[in-house]
Formats: sequence, C-alpha cells, structure tokens
Amino acid sequence: MTSNSQPTNDAASGLGLAILRIALGVTVLATWWGNVGDDFYSADGLRGFFDWAFTPAEEGGNGSSLGIVESIIDGTVLQAPGLFGFLQTVMELLIGLGLLFGVFTRFFGFLALLFFGGLFLTYFGGEEWIWTYVILMAGALAVFLGRAGRTLGVDQVLAVRGPSSLRMLW
Amino acid sequence: MNLPSLRPMHPPRWPLALARMAMGLLWLGSLRWKLPPDFDGNGETSLRTWLELEVEHPFLSVYGELIESVVLPNFTLFAWLVFLSELGVGIALLVGAWTEVAAVVGLLMSINLGIGLLEVPGEWPWSYAMMAMWHGTLLVSGAGLLWGVDGWRKDRSTSTVSNASTAGPTGPKDTP
Repeated sequence: MTSNSQPTNDAASGLGLAILRIALGVTVLATWWGNVGDDFYSADGLRGFFDWAFTPAEEGGNGSSLGIVESIIDGTVLQAPGLFGFLQTVMELLIGLGLLFGVFTRFFGFLALLFFGGLFLTYFGGEEWIWTYVILMAGALAVFLGRAGRTLGVDQVLAVRGPSSLRMLW
Repeated sequence: MNLPSLRPMHPPRWPLALARMAMGLLWLGSLRWKLPPDFDGNGETSLRTWLELEVEHPFLSVYGELIESVVLPNFTLFAWLVFLSELGVGIALLVGAWTEVAAVVGLLMSINLGIGLLEVPGEWPWSYAMMAMWHGTLLVSGAGLLWGVDGWRKDRSTSTVSNASTAGPTGPKDTP
C-alpha cells in the first residue's frame, strides 16, 4: 500500500530520521559517560559484565542463553579485556559523536547497528528486556539506510562538498 | 560556505515503515503479561507487580502516591485502560492506520512508563527515552503512508477528488 499522492521519499521522513539520529547519539553518549564513571571499560569491568550476562538468572545473573556468543566472547574479548575495553571506549564515543552531529553517519550508523546487534545477542534469552535492543537496532538501521546525517547534520555539507569517492560514508 | 544552497536529502520511507511495524509488535507483545480478565503475568512479572514497584521506587513522589491511592485501588479499571490502549496502539502502528494518533498515544505511554520505572532497580531509563523518540519520529515522518492503511486512505481520497474535478460540474443544465 503506497500512497501515490505522497512520494515515498520526502522531507518529513528526513526530519524524522534526523530526530532519531540525534536521540540515538545522545543515548550512546550518556550511557558511555555513565560507563566511564563506573569503570565499566576496564578489564575487570568487562570481565564482570560478561560473567553477569551468562550467569543463570537464579544465581543473580542475566541468564543469557546463546552459548555460541559466550564461546566467541570467551575466545576473543576475554582473552584481552583491557585492549577490548579501550577499543570499546573509543568506539562508543565516536559512534555517539558521529550520530549526534551527523558526521559520516552511514559509517557510524552501521557501526552502531553492529554494536547494538552484539548487545542483543549477548542479552538474548535472559532477564533483560530484549526489545530495548530491537528498538536500538531499528534506529541504527533506519539512520544507516536513510542517510540521516543529510538532514540537520554535517553530512548535509559533505554530500555537496565532500569527495565523491567517500560518498558511502555519508 | 553557501549553506542556503544545500538541500537536505529526502530519504526513503521504508525503514520507517518497517520500524513502525516493529513498534506495533512491541506493544502487542507486551500484552502477554497483562491479559484480561485477571491481568496476571502468565509466569512473568505482572502489571500489578510493576505498579507496586513504581510505588516502591518512585522517581516523582506524587506519581508514586497517585499509583498507590488511585490506580491500585481501581486496578481492574486501569488495567483494562492500559490493555486497550496498548492493543489499539499496537494494531494501529502495525497496520499503519491513524498512525499520527497512535504515535501520540504511544509517545505519552512511553513517557508514562519512563517516569514510572526510572528508579526501579534494573531498569534502563534510556529504553523508554528511545521508545518516546521512536514515537516522535513516527509522528512527524508520515510512516503510515507506506505499507499502511493511511497510504491507502490517502490514495482513495486523492482519486475521489481528482475524479470529481475531471468529471466537471454536475447537476441540471440550464435550458436555452
């Protein structure tokens, strides 16, 4: 069902996606700031988080149920939690800033989609309300597909002035 | 830099239409722990328990008092209101019917949830901020016009108007 009178691409959806992008950026930055204050990104912080995530709910954990995700995390992140913690700190900060200001929005939108997807898989099957991560993934996907930085964002300038070889970033 | 010459891009609407349906499913899915007639949790935390948690951990004391003195004593009435509101918003967003109205109601319900659950342990307040933001986005973006009843209704009304204008004036013609 598509309205013929209203084109499927229009300014209203551009504004909607811009609101979405800015809200996602604020959410990521606010959470990042809280996590920095809580020392979440340290080696102990990350180790503690993943321990909690995969501990059964009756023992006080989240009770996440995807064993394959646990194996991957055991074999990668938890082999060098200090390094991954640092990378996570930088990545979340850049995602937040990129989305907030609409800079390289397609790139950071895609990165955000992977990040939220990772969280979705980590929490899946546990006590955590999984729809939170569906909402976040839907937001990141819409921002990525809709090139949401081209309304009320720096990408609006880059789309006109930036090198065409890098167009896929915005 | 000649900013006025920069025109914002008009992005596709289909990601928003998909998100609209996902939000509809979210509301419909959340009905499973508040089903009438007894509104118990079907093995999950029930609506009454959530309300009691809001009273125990109020973000605004007046809100907690309102729940305790008005909502909980009239639980069945409010449970029906919550159930019907979420059902209505869920269906409307899923099928894209009266999307703006559903988005406003969904926005208010998200804000209500956020205020009520902000201080409840284990709740991530940004979940409700994101829900509110999504409904704000659906409100302004015409998300029901693609793959939705709103688009179909708009097409029908447009074709009715254009048929009327091409048919020309009707009614008895003056005889010479």
